[in-house]
Amino acid sequence: MGNKKTYLIFLFSLILLFLIFLLALMIGSTPIPIRTTIDSLFSFDSELTRFSVIIRQIRLPRVILSFLVGSALAIAGAVFQGIIRNPMVDPYIVGISAGAGTAATIAIIFNMTWSLFYFNTIPLFAFIGAIITVVLVYNISKVGNKIPVMNFLLAGVAIGFILDAIRSFLMVTGTNDMQQVVFWLMGSLAGTSWRDIRIVLPYYFIGLIPILLYIKDLNIILLGEDNAQTLGVEVEKVKKTLITSATLITAAVVSVSGSIGFIGLVMPHMARMLIGPDHRKLIPFAAILGGIFLMVSDMLARSLMPPLEIPVGIITAIAGGPYFIYLLRKNKSGGW
Amino acid sequence: MLEIKKLSFAYKEEKIINDLDLYIKMNEFIAIIGPNGSGKSTLIKNLSNIIKPDKGSIYLDYKNLNDLSAQDLAKKLSVVPQNTNVDFDFTVYDLIMMGRNPYQNRWGKITDNDREVVIEAMKLTDTFQFKDRRLMNLSGGEKQRVIIARALAQEPEVLLLDEPTSSLDINYQGEIFDLLSYLNNKKNITIIIVSHDLNLASQYCNKLLLLNNGEIYSIGNPDEVLTKKNIKDVYNAEVSIKENMISGRPYVVLIPNKHKFDKKNKADINLHLICGGGSAQNIINKLYNLNINITAGVLNQGDSDWQLLKSYGYEVAEVEPFAYIEEEDLNYNSKLIEKANIILVADLPFGYGNVNNLKQLLNYEDKEIYLYAKRSIEDRDYTNGKAKSIWFRLIKRDNVSAFQEIDNLIEEVKSKYNL
Repeated sequence: MGNKKTYLIFLFSLILLFLIFLLALMIGSTPIPIRTTIDSLFSFDSELTRFSVIIRQIRLPRVILSFLVGSALAIAGAVFQGIIRNPMVDPYIVGISAGAGTAATIAIIFNMTWSLFYFNTIPLFAFIGAIITVVLVYNISKVGNKIPVMNFLLAGVAIGFILDAIRSFLMVTGTNDMQQVVFWLMGSLAGTSWRDIRIVLPYYFIGLIPILLYIKDLNIILLGEDNAQTLGVEVEKVKKTLITSATLITAAVVSVSGSIGFIGLVMPHMARMLIGPDHRKLIPFAAILGGIFLMVSDMLARSLMPPLEIPVGIITAIAGGPYFIYLLRKNKSGGW
Repeated sequence: MLEIKKLSFAYKEEKIINDLDLYIKMNEFIAIIGPNGSGKSTLIKNLSNIIKPDKGSIYLDYKNLNDLSAQDLAKKLSVVPQNTNVDFDFTVYDLIMMGRNPYQNRWGKITDNDREVVIEAMKLTDTFQFKDRRLMNLSGGEKQRVIIARALAQEPEVLLLDEPTSSLDINYQGEIFDLLSYLNNKKNITIIIVSHDLNLASQYCNKLLLLNNGEIYSIGNPDEVLTKKNIKDVYNAEVSIKENMISGRPYVVLIPNKHKFDKKNKADINLHLICGGGSAQNIINKLYNLNINITAGVLNQGDSDWQLLKSYGYEVAEVEPFAYIEEEDLNYNSKLIEKANIILVADLPFGYGNVNNLKQLLNYEDKEIYLYAKRSIEDRDYTNGKAKSIWFRLIKRDNVSAFQEIDNLIEEVKSKYNL
């Protein structure tokens, strides 16, 4: 991958990101012209018009959150795919979504949806559920001081099944309105406020820093753990740090958005095809792609059938699934 | 220098390496050989600190491996693994540059020195030409050279290789060993290689380490380690040790044992062969395919028929080169003959040295004797008629038949004994 081509790809994707950002602010149940959109973004001292309230209080946090969620899922997906050296892995594979979903269901069904300071309890439950699940999976798969990748995957899948069963049981027997649960499970950014961003942002950055610190080691781990060890990488330490970090950012975004599928699976894959396997380029690029993808998906989710909102997880799955099948067919010969 | 003290390692309950002590001087080119499961790869993994010993310790330049960070160790010791596949789309150049990892900062900033070292490594391994290609598009030998280049980019003092040539064609095998030899001689890199190929190891390495059940069975130069006995003991294989004419090193030849899985026939029929001087090369090969027990005698050691019979692992009554056949040799030979159902006499020349082999046959009036007589007995009698007279006494008997063509003779034996 020549440097020039890399720069061009990044430049192009950043321009695209900016255009989609503007478009996402303009489009919705009330379309807003571009002039007004830009004005209400940048002129802070101007009077609050109806449009600028929609832009600043409703659409802007939602668009920013969709970027954060999309990019976080793509980053975590790239990290897990790298550690596990398997392109068919997404951040949910380790039981994060099952843990978050089950905990959120418990909160909804047992009416524990009070507010704690400015924290709504559903995200809080989801976050704790996700973290507990990963800690569980992590400890089940641990052999001595090592985390064999295959154990980790299988433990994640097994725990995921158990938790999904518990959640289904709660949903069948619960007396409460199920719509909230279903909406959450499908993933949605409806009703996003600045508060959600305040919840996500600290975890996003706390998780991102170790990923950036070990980004080169992740490249070398692609050669296999034994090889990486002999090339000077403290494999187990790096692996543990990266799993923890990727879990943290995934749990944080899942807690506010519900489980939005396919982004963590498809975006790193797509980024790898465009920019190569070097994580120093791949992770930032996957983050941009993931952000753009979720911004577009959410834009469609809220504008395709107004006033009805389609859960954005449905959109991402409909767009991502066929793309993934296409990849499978195309790349049958191996090498990714 | 690399020193192993009382190293033990077990997977689960199974002991792989058992209380092993080893001292490897710098600048040695040493091969670790031994049968499957003898602990070769495990030893390499311990040496490269991929796995940690259960007991004992390993010192590199007087430092315990456990006290070295992965990064510090990677600057001194590099490893070429058995499996060199990389499923990712890295270019050859990027892959070799990864060898600079232990010298680089956190984000892998490439310095001028890094570039120089990588280019030097590519030149040494002749991989510069495909620096922009992907590993998965290279042939086995080329891939292996790329991985060696990556290991060299680490600027190691010690290079460990785990069967780097096991999946390569013979030309690539030689190429890799020639390269290692060069690195050892000219770059003073200590090379430790696990090899399944005893002959390559013998030819290139100045020291061999024969492992068996996780213990050192033998260590030393190839002549000391590659003996018939050692290989029988450790590999349970019958071999014959020759000398490689080019290198002067021992050369191991496996003796085929075609009958190993078909013992029924073999036990039933015994054939004793009187031959010598290369007269029976063709016959021996044909008889071998019949899957029967063969004995022969009496033969001089070093005789070409003797060599062939020995390489097949047959029992031979033998005397020293050029010695006359004495009474006791004949006694031993007669024991072999008595066990035989069939006696076959090749059209060998008879002199005073071996005429007693023929004479002895007069004692057996009820054993099936086949005389092969492509050349008439007159033409090969160097005993002033002694051999000839014995021959004619034999041929008159009922139990003796003579054949002009060896194929007819073999057919006769085959039909008679249902072979």
